[in-house]
This record gives sequence, structure tokens and C-alpha cells, in this order.
Amino acid sequence: MKQLRILPFYISLLTTFIVFSQQEKDTVKTKESYGIRVGIDISKPITTYFEPETKGIELIGDIRLKRNIYAAVELGFDEKTTEEDYLNFTTKGSYLKIGANYNAYKNWAGMNNEIFVGIRYGMSFFEQTLNSYTPNVKGTYFIPDTVNPNTEFKDLTAQWVELIFGLKVETFKNLYLGASFSVKKMMNTKEPENFKNLYVPGFNRVFLNDMGVGFNYTLSYLIPIVKKKK
Amino acid sequence: MKKYSTLIILALILMLSCEKDDICVETTTPRVIILFNNFDEPENSKELSSLTFWVNENDSIVLNQTIDSLAFPIDLTQNSTQYIFKTNNIKDTINLEYNRKDIFVSRSCGYKTIFEEVQNKSNTFNWVKDITINQTTIENETATHITILH
Repeated sequence: MKQLRILPFYISLLTTFIVFSQQEKDTVKTKESYGIRVGIDISKPITTYFEPETKGIELIGDIRLKRNIYAAVELGFDEKTTEEDYLNFTTKGSYLKIGANYNAYKNWAGMNNEIFVGIRYGMSFFEQTLNSYTPNVKGTYFIPDTVNPNTEFKDLTAQWVELIFGLKVETFKNLYLGASFSVKKMMNTKEPENFKNLYVPGFNRVFLNDMGVGFNYTLSYLIPIVKKKK
Repeated sequence: MKKYSTLIILALILMLSCEKDDICVETTTPRVIILFNNFDEPENSKELSSLTFWVNENDSIVLNQTIDSLAFPIDLTQNSTQYIFKTNNIKDTINLEYNRKDIFVSRSCGYKTIFEEVQNKSNTFNWVKDITINQTTIENETATHITILH
């Protein structure tokens, strides 16, 4: 009886090896699409719908250079009126971001999803309009008047770097839904005289230590150009 | 990789949440600092007894107090302010003239107004014996701007 059990054990062990080695040989050579992906930021039109004083559009694009590396670009226009306790101003301008994404997600055969980290160099050309302000005075003995200077500060520029974390999911063939979160650090700005760039298109609100954050929700379409073996 | 990026995101959110620019902490529009000194010894302060102080047609800023210095606001809507000092029922008026300039401070503080070319346009001499403008530009509250001798 004992011998009988040892024999099936060896047989099963052997078959397992055979099965595994056969699977190894049978691996299908899947092909992956390389091409240009273009899309838009879908959060911007939604924001415009709910806040008519805010207008914006962003076009995105990337090219797959290597298996996990994508060259990426974002191009956008932004108009936003910011209301603060003692200030009201409008920022209007366009921006461009250039950089790369690294896909850290290991796809199964046939899947094309991404969990990526990326870096960007951003630049913006914009103008600010100081709509109104109220001089800040302690106490209520004299109530200051609100001033409406409508001062326009033109030809302003800003440059910054971004670190991006995000994901892209292929929902239909070649159609991707994406979401990302970015942290930005302002490098260089041309500041208006007697005012400050408190909001910069593409950078969003400029925090006190020159930091910024951003969220993107994207819809993009892949135009396949070449198919390469995995 | 995923673990690390989550950590990095958390750290950055924490960093950003420590922002202070929602609360105005900087100094804003300054008040005028005035000192009452002894006419016989101009370096020494001398208290004014039962002082009532106001700007024409407004409420009193100080009512019946004994003090040797005063900080009072300047009218931001005009280029001159007339102050009335009443001590022991003797009235004196001082008319200050100035230019206003709005300076950007920060997001939460907005603009502050500073006053330049401050001068004593006219005043009466009932209890006041002399008025000195120590600083012609009033941009903070760290120094005495005006000294009144009595």
C-alpha cells in the first residue's frame, strides 16, 4: 500500500513540472499598442457649469516612449475670479506643462492600465485684474470705502515644477479615464507691482510657501501607431 | 512603490494643511501715536487730566480719562482729519493733512493704508503750547509720530 502511494506522488510531481514547463512554452506573445494619446480634463467644463465666473479648458496628450515611460504635455486656458476677505481679483491666462510619467503598475496580458508617478515643468502667461479692495483697518471708528481700481497687471509669467500621482484605466478599447493629484512648487514668477500672484493659471492657488495642489480628471483616446511585442 | 507614494501624498497634505495665509497676522493700517509732554521739560511726559477726544461730529474715542499718550485712527476716505481734544473743559483742535497710499500686504490682510507728508495744517492754542510732527510718514505703530507740549 505504501509503495502505491509513493508512486502516484512521484507521478503527480512529475506531471506538475511538465504542466508548468508547458505553460511556460505556451505563453502568448501579447502585443502592446504604442501611440499618441489625446484628451481633455473633464473637471474644467463641469466647474464652469457650476461656477460661471470660472472658465477653463485643458488639453492633454502623451506619447509612449518606452514600455513604462510616457512623455506628457498639458495645454490649458484658465479664467478665475477669486474673492478674499479684503480683495477681489480676476486671473486670466494660458499655461503649458511638459514632462514624463512612469507607469508603476504591472499589467496582466491584454490590460493597459496605469498607476503612475510623473514630473512636469510648467509655465504660464497671464494677467491679473484687481477688481476691488477694502483697506484693512482695525477698529470701526472710521469705516474705509471699498476701492474699485480695476487695475490690470499684464504680461505676467510664472514657472514651476510638479510632482504627479495618478491612474489611468482603459474603459473601452483605446479610451482611457484618468485621475491624478499633483503637488507644485513655484520656481519663478514675475510679480505685479503692489500686488501678488495669488492665483496662477495651471498652478491654481499659490500658497504662502509657494506651494500649490491640483486635481485632474481626464478622458483620453489612444491613437495606436505601432504595436510592439511585450 | 504604491506604499511610498501614499506616504508622500500624506506628508505633502500635512505640510500644506499647516498653511497660515487664511488668517491675517501682519500689521495693517497704522494709527497715529501721540505723546503729551511737559512744555517746560520737553523730554518728559506729562499727563492730561480728564481728556475727552473725538473727531469732528463723531463719537468720542477717549472719554474723560487721564493719559499721557494716545493712539487714534486716521480717516481713510479724506486727506485731512480734524481732531478735538478737551481737557478740563478747555478745547483745542488739530487739523492733520496727509497723502494716502495703499500698500499690498497679503492674501488674508489685503491692502493697508499708509500716510505720507503728514503735516499740522492748523491748530488752536488754548491748552496746547507746541506741536511737533516727529514722523512725516506714518507706516507703522512702533514710534511716536506726534508730540504735543502743554
